[in-house]
Amino acid sequence: MPKVTAIIDQESSQIQIVRAIKNNDLKVLKALYQANYHKVKALVLSNNGSIAHAKDIYQDAFIAVWKNIKNDKFTPKNDTAIDGYLYTIAKNKWMDYLRSKRYKKTLVTSYETHFNISDITIDEFSDDNTNDERLHSVMQSFKHLGLPCKTLLTKFYFEKKSMRDIAKELKLDAASTRNKKYRCMQKLRKLALNLK
Amino acid sequence: MSQNTELTQELLELVERCLNKTANTEELKDFEAKLKTDLAFKAQVADIKTLLFGIEEQSLKESLNVFHEELDHETSNKSVPVKTMYIKKIAVAAILVIALGSFWFFSGNTNEKLFAKYFLPDPGLPTMMSKTSNFEFYDAMVNYKLGDYSIAIKKWNELQERKPNNDTLNYFLGVAYLAYKDENAAITYLSSVTTLSQSTFKNEAYYYLGLAYLKAGNVELSKKNLNFSTIDNSKSLLSELND
Repeated sequence: MPKVTAIIDQESSQIQIVRAIKNNDLKVLKALYQANYHKVKALVLSNNGSIAHAKDIYQDAFIAVWKNIKNDKFTPKNDTAIDGYLYTIAKNKWMDYLRSKRYKKTLVTSYETHFNISDITIDEFSDDNTNDERLHSVMQSFKHLGLPCKTLLTKFYFEKKSMRDIAKELKLDAASTRNKKYRCMQKLRKLALNLK
Repeated sequence: MSQNTELTQELLELVERCLNKTANTEELKDFEAKLKTDLAFKAQVADIKTLLFGIEEQSLKESLNVFHEELDHETSNKSVPVKTMYIKKIAVAAILVIALGSFWFFSGNTNEKLFAKYFLPDPGLPTMMSKTSNFEFYDAMVNYKLGDYSIAIKKWNELQERKPNNDTLNYFLGVAYLAYKDENAAITYLSSVTTLSQSTFKNEAYYYLGLAYLKAGNVELSKKNLNFSTIDNSKSLLSELND
């Protein structure tokens, strides 16, 4: 007899995790991040990499997993599926890096040189490069957006807080928070356009 | 992103509602129909989605760095409170008394015997439950104090990879290796502490380095290092070696 309850529990915990990841639940993201780092670090360190490489590769892989879960490209089947998926992506990224020209060039100059791994994830070979460029310019602009706007937009779009809660936190009324959010989006859009 | 079109609040909020599934069915139906027929509208919506994804991805990136810093929490010299150092000194003094008290038990004067007579691992730092910022370090300290040197070494080594120049870490790794009978590794770590211009552990590090060289059979270097330490035990060991 299969343990039905166990299967149900496992499934529901996976659904919960996926939902939490889609909602950017910081507690869940942090636990996932911290639980899997050391394995990837060990892999990179034992394969000609440094601590800095390990961090870069791992963060890249983590973002790829987050994106794929968000876009329903990956649905974990059991409890350890996300961990395994994350490790596999990190491993593939590291192999790609070791095979890359950049690595071979780095070998000659210095082991310590920092690098940026391309943002293309394994199932994301889009033929639409302009889309990536746009996203990149939005991200850069958001990085340098003024703090008040950045805080407001982060709370709303990343932390998924309600407009009412944000208004309370910022000691504003709901209507002006809503307007402020719109103005911040205009500002961000303008910055991103100029960057292009 | 197209220069010509303006971002309107209405469209922004409509896209938001459609994405987080709070739009009503009629609204959603209209939206999807328009996406299929109106290419300009489709482009505008794509632009808004790019803005929203960009905000999320950049926010996540910044959060990851915060998560990572927590993994990185260091065991810096500064984090050792003054009071702790005081307790440590008393503990070292107590051990010296015990070591000196047992002095006459030993008659031979071989390096091994001298080492066995003088070597007692550093009592370690008090472990406090509240010190969560240095959890990994103190977690290993518990193993160290229990005499599980291999476990402590393994854990500290992981930390040391991230903080190769931390003197507290290098000092305790050195002493742990010495207790674990790996004097060569001990010499490496302890030397790195003694070469620092300033460290709270410098005095003790010279003493243990002297012991490590003694264990390794290098009496000259042992004497040289013991000479730099002002610990009483160091002086008495030195005088025995000179006898």
